[in-house]
Amino acid sequence: MKFVIESISKNSGRLGHLRIREGGPDLKTPLLLQTTKGGSIPWLAGDVFEHQVSQEPQVLELTLSNMGHMADALQQWNNQGRGVSDYVGFPGNPNLLLLRDPCETTPSGSNDRDIQPLFTRRGRESLTAETYIEMVAKIQPDIFQGLSDADTNAESSKKRAQKSVDRTEKFMQYIYEQSGKVRGTLLAPIVGGYNTFARTQSIKHAREQPAESYGGYVLEGFHNNGLSATSLDTSKLLPIVEHCVKQLEEDKPRIIPGAYTPLTVLELIRLGIDVFDTSYAYCATHNFKALTFTFVKNEKEDKPFLDITDDTIKEEFTPLLRDCSCLTCQKHTRAYLHHLYKTNELLGPILLMIHNLHHYMAFFERIREAVANDTLPALTELVKTQNGKSSSDFSIVQNTKVISKATMSKGFVAAAV
Amino acid sequence: MSPTKIPPLTYKVVAECSVSKARAGLMTLRHSEVNTPVFMPVGTQGTLKGILPDQLIELNCQILLGNTYHLGLRPGIETLKKAGGLHKFMGWPRAILTDSGGFQMVSLLQLADIDENGVNFRSPFDNSQCMLTPEHSIQIQNAIGADIMMQLDDVVKTTTTGPRVEEAMERTIRWVDRCIEAHARDDDQSLFPIVQGGLDVPLRERCVSALMERQVRGFAVGGLSGGESKHDFWRMVDVCTDHLPKEKPRYLMGVGFAADLVVCVALGIDMFDCVFPTRTARFGCALVDSGQLNLKQPKYKTDMEPIDKDCECTTCKRYTRSYLHHIATNESVSCSLLSIHNVAYQLRLMRSMREAIQRDEFPQFVRDFMARHFKSEPIPAWIRESLLAVRIELPADPVQDKTEQEEQSRPEKKQEKEAS
Repeated sequence: MKFVIESISKNSGRLGHLRIREGGPDLKTPLLLQTTKGGSIPWLAGDVFEHQVSQEPQVLELTLSNMGHMADALQQWNNQGRGVSDYVGFPGNPNLLLLRDPCETTPSGSNDRDIQPLFTRRGRESLTAETYIEMVAKIQPDIFQGLSDADTNAESSKKRAQKSVDRTEKFMQYIYEQSGKVRGTLLAPIVGGYNTFARTQSIKHAREQPAESYGGYVLEGFHNNGLSATSLDTSKLLPIVEHCVKQLEEDKPRIIPGAYTPLTVLELIRLGIDVFDTSYAYCATHNFKALTFTFVKNEKEDKPFLDITDDTIKEEFTPLLRDCSCLTCQKHTRAYLHHLYKTNELLGPILLMIHNLHHYMAFFERIREAVANDTLPALTELVKTQNGKSSSDFSIVQNTKVISKATMSKGFVAAAV
Repeated sequence: MSPTKIPPLTYKVVAECSVSKARAGLMTLRHSEVNTPVFMPVGTQGTLKGILPDQLIELNCQILLGNTYHLGLRPGIETLKKAGGLHKFMGWPRAILTDSGGFQMVSLLQLADIDENGVNFRSPFDNSQCMLTPEHSIQIQNAIGADIMMQLDDVVKTTTTGPRVEEAMERTIRWVDRCIEAHARDDDQSLFPIVQGGLDVPLRERCVSALMERQVRGFAVGGLSGGESKHDFWRMVDVCTDHLPKEKPRYLMGVGFAADLVVCVALGIDMFDCVFPTRTARFGCALVDSGQLNLKQPKYKTDMEPIDKDCECTTCKRYTRSYLHHIATNESVSCSLLSIHNVAYQLRLMRSMREAIQRDEFPQFVRDFMARHFKSEPIPAWIRESLLAVRIELPADPVQDKTEQEEQSRPEKKQEKEAS
């Protein structure tokens, strides 16, 4: 893996180039990883993604929690020299393996001295450093994170934060020793919750290693994944991230998984974070929200979301978002999306995810432009106010609406009479 | 919109099998041309489970089925009217066929009760007494705007016997006249009557000849595929196609298992629909010529082949059985991937039959298909008999265990009942 920084600015963060594989695509940072479920882009068949969302090379963000059960099959597959991206239907695309799925809340607890819990569809499994390295060796990702205890958030006690650092250090001693046996590039996990002392220790441990023993950093333990990342208190988050970033090696990429809001992403980029993922688009789709926040100056005030569950759009035969060029907005209406939600049809999240990914990826294009032109603060201001006066709320709340059973309303027959 | 001189449905036979009753045709509708014999995937609620309209067009799907009962509930007739009909509402530019809604009324609403006026039911909305009459069904279908619509028929269980079957058949004929009378968009939509008559040959014959006296552009055969024996099933289809006019399309409702499709094409049916291909996909099953693969089975865990090496669908081009095994029923994308393959399978099977009919090689196609479908297992007697009735003789089963051969039919290839 090669990472080259093109520019660093005080107000607009870092612009860089990441090449994950020899001869692979040149990826510009700030970079967006594609979050996956069992290796697939959530809800989207491979050809739907390629035809309707993007034909550009994508970095797949795989997670052990929803791919661990494929390890044995992948070992056999990889013996034919094919690679995990090929197995999940995206041949030629680089990939990165995380432990935890940033799309779903990671349950707290079950941490033990030598064991890290892995939460899968089949329940809780236990990872030791040894079993983890064995699974990585079978899956053979291009990049993989070190084994970490990241079970912390803003409410965690000092003791819990310290424990996450100590356990991670212990796991990592083994991982650093063994990582030569695994082909991919290792990411050093940086943990320690919101405790500056613990974070410093975690970074110190990574930096004690020879520089070539790992290729980048993964910053974890700020939230418990899922929707929790969308409602963080930035007055707590940003200082601790800044504290970390200052101590990291400049020439290694910094990856921060999780569904951070667009506004928080902009702040994190300013602080020098390089790589994010699409879990925010996933969380919005999962909760029936179309992303409609603007990142372009215009006359009308915009809103962060369109709520698909809202009955007022039942007969709105207009696109989710005006002027959007995605398939969903070009060919379908709000009314139809609402109908698909009401009938619990699978096409609903498919069309919504196409739009949300399209929108979120366009947002990242705009971000890279702004970083290159050193205009990130102006973009941040625009996203914050949405061409209106007040600041907007980008947090995603879980959809708890229950769809009432279809009833034989009078309209069924009355319409005909 | 469209020149009123051209009827909304024209049908022409383009090739006939010189041995059986099979025929290939071209049906021209307002929204699409449809090559027959055709399989129509079921998009119950204005969408085909997990498949984009663009993907269906890529599969060269020409016509979909929608369910009037479900669409009447959601999004509702008012919304569909405002949207300008179902085609616009769901973004599907090609043809659509709708049922009458009567079947679901009877199968889903336990309170439904049929009399001469229509289907009576108690509205779960406010518990008031409501009724779906033939006129209502047509008015709702006029609002949906499908290219082909069905008359409201008097549905009885296929296993019903006695005078109720005859009553239902006679009432169905009376109701078709009320439907024709109520039909307000005859320039855009074509109304098909439904042949009823249970499992009784004379009743079926009477029904066909009565319906043929009406001005209609095609016919449906109903009341089958509901749990009757296969022996009765094929005879009813055979008797209907014997008497229905050659120059109009014939639609057999609710049939979609591969072997049934092949037999019924040989018997002269042109149109089919069935929820089976998309339903079985949700349970992790993929259709192949030899039946279906249940991809959840452990044997597929490390099977690095596609579902079907010869299949051109996007699922087979990209994914292995091994990968599908791991995501089937776990990740929702698996439902889309298997639905795409299964619909592609059905459409390819129909295309192969059309081509075989056009080359006048259909009997050989049937023999080859049955050999692939049943492999070394004995071919069920009803399939032999039905094909023999249209002069297609199948080779004898490979000699094997005698007791096995004596069994009338092999354990059915996972027969699932239709009830959408």
